[in-house]
Amino acid sequence: MTEELKVAVERKPQGAVLYTKGYINNVGGEEIANRAYELMDDGVRTLLLNLRETKIVNSIGISILIEIIEKMIDKGGKIAFCCLTPVIHKTFQIMGLANYASIFENEEAAVKELGL
Amino acid sequence: MTTTAERQMELTLPMVPDIEIAAARAVGNLAREMGMSSERVDEMMHAVIEACINAREHSGCTDNRIYLRFLGTSQGDGSRVDIWVTDHGKGFDPEEARSRRPTPGTPHKRGRGLQLIELHMDEVDISTTKNGGTTIHMVKYEKKS
Repeated sequence: MTEELKVAVERKPQGAVLYTKGYINNVGGEEIANRAYELMDDGVRTLLLNLRETKIVNSIGISILIEIIEKMIDKGGKIAFCCLTPVIHKTFQIMGLANYASIFENEEAAVKELGL
Repeated sequence: MTTTAERQMELTLPMVPDIEIAAARAVGNLAREMGMSSERVDEMMHAVIEACINAREHSGCTDNRIYLRFLGTSQGDGSRVDIWVTDHGKGFDPEEARSRRPTPGTPHKRGRGLQLIELHMDEVDISTTKNGGTTIHMVKYEKKS
C-alpha cells in the first residue's frame, strides 16, 4: 500500500508556494525536499508550504522538513507553513519546527506577512 | 454508571511501507463511531502511526507483523478508546529511549516517535522484554460536554 504525496508549485514575485496533498512520510518528505531544493537552486529564498490538503504527517517526514528549513536558513532564506490541522500544528511545535519557521493560519496572512 | 464495550477490532498487518496508514484509518473509523471529536481522532491516528513506525523500524522482529487491537467503550460521562500495538521483536528499554529524547520544541531530526505518542494520547503504557516483544497500550478519552 502506498500513499503518494502530490506537490504543486506556484511561483510568486518574491518566492514560491508549495501545495501538498496527502501523507507526508519519508517518501513524501523527499518529494517536498526535491521541489524545495530546485526552487532554492533557482534563487528562491522565501518559501511557503501550504498543507491544506495534508491531514497526516509522521516523524520521519517532519525530520525531512527540518532539513529543508536548515538548508534554507543556511542560504539566508526563510520557510513558513500555513493551513495546518490542529494536530499537525501541535506536532510541529513538539518537533521544534515552530522555532525556525513561521506558522500562519491561512495563505492570505502568510503571503502578506512574507511579502510574497 | 454502566460501562459497555461497544466496538472492538483486531488487526494483524504486514510490516510494509505505509501500512501504518491502514492502522490509523481503522482506529480513526472506530473512534468516529464512538462519537469522538475530529481533533482527538487525529491525535489518535498520529499516535498509532508513530507506534507502527517504531515497530516496523526498530523491533527487529522476524515475523514481520504488527498486531493491533482497538477497543471503544462508552461510559456514563463519555467514551474511551484503548489501543494496543504489539510486535514480537527484540524489545527495548523505554527509560533509555526517554533519556535520549530531545527537549520538546528543539529541532531534532529523529527520536521523537515515542514522545509524540505520549503527547498525543491521554495514557501510554509500554510493556517490553528483551527478545520478548513490545506492546504499547494507549488510551484516549472523550468527555461528554
